[in-house]
Amino acid sequence: MVQFLRFATLRAALAFFTLCLVSFIVFSLMEMVPGDCAERYLAFKNSQGAMISIADIEFERVRLGLHKPFLQRWATWLFNAFQGEFGDSCILRLNINQLLGQKIWLSIGICLGSLVLAYAIAIPVGIIAATSRNPFLNNGLRLVSYLGLALPNFLLALMVMLFSTVVFGNSLTGLFSPEFRDAPWNTAKVLDFLGHVWLPVFILGWSATAFAIQTVRALLSDEIGKLYVTAAAARGVSGRRLLMRYPARHALSPIINSLGFDLNRIFNELPIVALILTLTEAGSLLIEALARSNDQQLAGAIIFFLTGCIIAINFITDIVLALVDPRIRRSILG
Amino acid sequence: MSRLIDVENLTLQFDTDEGRITAVDDVSFSLDAGKIMGLVGESGSGKSVTAKSLMKLNPRNAVYGENTKITLHLDDGPVDVMSLQNDHEMKVVRGGSISLIFQEPMASFAPAISIGDQMIEQLLIHTSFSKSQAKEVSIEMLDRVGISDPSMRFSQYAFELSGGMRQRAMIAMALSTKPKLLIADEPTTALDVTIQAQVIDLMKDLVTEFGMGIIFITHDLGVIAQTADNVAVMYLGRLVEQGTVRDVIRSPAHPYTRGLLAALPTLDDIDAPLTPIPGDIPSPLERPSGCVYNTRCQEFIGPRCSAKVPVFSQIDAGHAAACHLYDRAGDAE
Repeated sequence: MVQFLRFATLRAALAFFTLCLVSFIVFSLMEMVPGDCAERYLAFKNSQGAMISIADIEFERVRLGLHKPFLQRWATWLFNAFQGEFGDSCILRLNINQLLGQKIWLSIGICLGSLVLAYAIAIPVGIIAATSRNPFLNNGLRLVSYLGLALPNFLLALMVMLFSTVVFGNSLTGLFSPEFRDAPWNTAKVLDFLGHVWLPVFILGWSATAFAIQTVRALLSDEIGKLYVTAAAARGVSGRRLLMRYPARHALSPIINSLGFDLNRIFNELPIVALILTLTEAGSLLIEALARSNDQQLAGAIIFFLTGCIIAINFITDIVLALVDPRIRRSILG
Repeated sequence: MSRLIDVENLTLQFDTDEGRITAVDDVSFSLDAGKIMGLVGESGSGKSVTAKSLMKLNPRNAVYGENTKITLHLDDGPVDVMSLQNDHEMKVVRGGSISLIFQEPMASFAPAISIGDQMIEQLLIHTSFSKSQAKEVSIEMLDRVGISDPSMRFSQYAFELSGGMRQRAMIAMALSTKPKLLIADEPTTALDVTIQAQVIDLMKDLVTEFGMGIIFITHDLGVIAQTADNVAVMYLGRLVEQGTVRDVIRSPAHPYTRGLLAALPTLDDIDAPLTPIPGDIPSPLERPSGCVYNTRCQEFIGPRCSAKVPVFSQIDAGHAAACHLYDRAGDAE
């Protein structure tokens, strides 16, 4: 138990370190973009007709603390970030926490939903694909999963929108109906949300599912061919018990391993799908901040959240792996 | 001595993309209780496939010949193995009255299930023991095969045991259901010579103690000479020679058996060159016509060898070889 706690602590420390490192990279990238926040904001003012002098810019810099050394500013930013305080958006002059608000949780929810959907489908289907000898079923599944792998998510999103607009007169975009957009959460709003959110979850889950089916099928076929399965059959273990307790049980560890990887993929695909479906969540805000307004503080905060999430899921899968796989457990406990 | 198993005309083919491959061709043998039979041959000769046939454990593309008949003689009557259909019926030949141990015990224990759990599972399938009784029997069995601290080993995993220990645990598991027949598929090949001797002694002891029969599969004639009562030599899916160990090793009749024995290294004369059998074992896709060994035979005696499949001829009492050299009836033709 003590060793296990030590292992968990070590992994947590490692995860924390990774997060710091990522934040450093994000912060450095923000730094490398020409022009700092003060210049950009005042340039924006300038375009509105105000007269701006160099002295004004310098004054603004000092006000924002931009004159301090890079590392010191990063350390401050990181310190505040871990306390959940990301400062103000440079261009919008709004507190980032207010700006992000529930959007970040919507994004994380959509991604986790897609991941759960993907594996809820992939595990049973992958098991069937690995054990079935029916050529029609196997080739059918293969075709569907190749389609899932080959068809880009944004194209799928566009196709669904187009189809729905032509047939139903409803483009299925957004996360809320207009009347609920700013309403407080209640049952009606939750139902409305669920009525909208299934589409992005489906689209993001589509290729993840295809990918996960291939993973599950390959891992399980691999295990089924191993000698210990024949050995178990030779001892009289049979049927579903043989399948679930032997190859399926042993294919579980690498599948758990692939969860973190798949979540990463889904996160990568979220912003573009969000843009097409005009979702009001953090992914679209990230594109907005990065590509349009060049709002580094906002973009940094979002990336920090998303990577934090990926690191957290990898931390969790590491711990779960150690719990379910005696080979890993014993290597920790010595 | 009572008869334990009769195998008659065992023929087994595999349906593959390249066509139907013959793995075992018209093999017949018998084994009495309390005896050890060695099944010898090079890799690819069909030894393992033959052994697995006794448990109907071959893959789904296996097709058994129509005349194949395998009869297991148990205390409560004979069992026709070929007629066993579902998993429930097959329990008797899978871990019940027949147990199988493998060459590689590491690969035959599931890596993420403890040894004890796998032993209990088998006992619960085949006996009416409760879980705690099954645990007791398993630990007793581990102790019996010479594993020290059996109750600790019971809760360990295969990867935590040494090679010899794993093989012992494997034997303990195979014997825990008190099978009548133990099939040992190259059980000592992966072991050090010293441990090999221990494991062989252990198996001999257990035969005496439990009164069961063993089919010992190996390519190592040296091991067979120490272990078995009878030998059957297999080449490319066919039996070519059968007899007592003494007869077959001392006066091998079939040219293939002679070749195998000549290929054995000897410690008496370390300068003596090894004499391997020339040529390679042919692909099962290109089985030679006539005698399957005729393409490599050093004592080839003419077109008969490549035209006609030789039948078994009696050499001595209880010693027979399938070779045209001894086929008196064939001479008359």
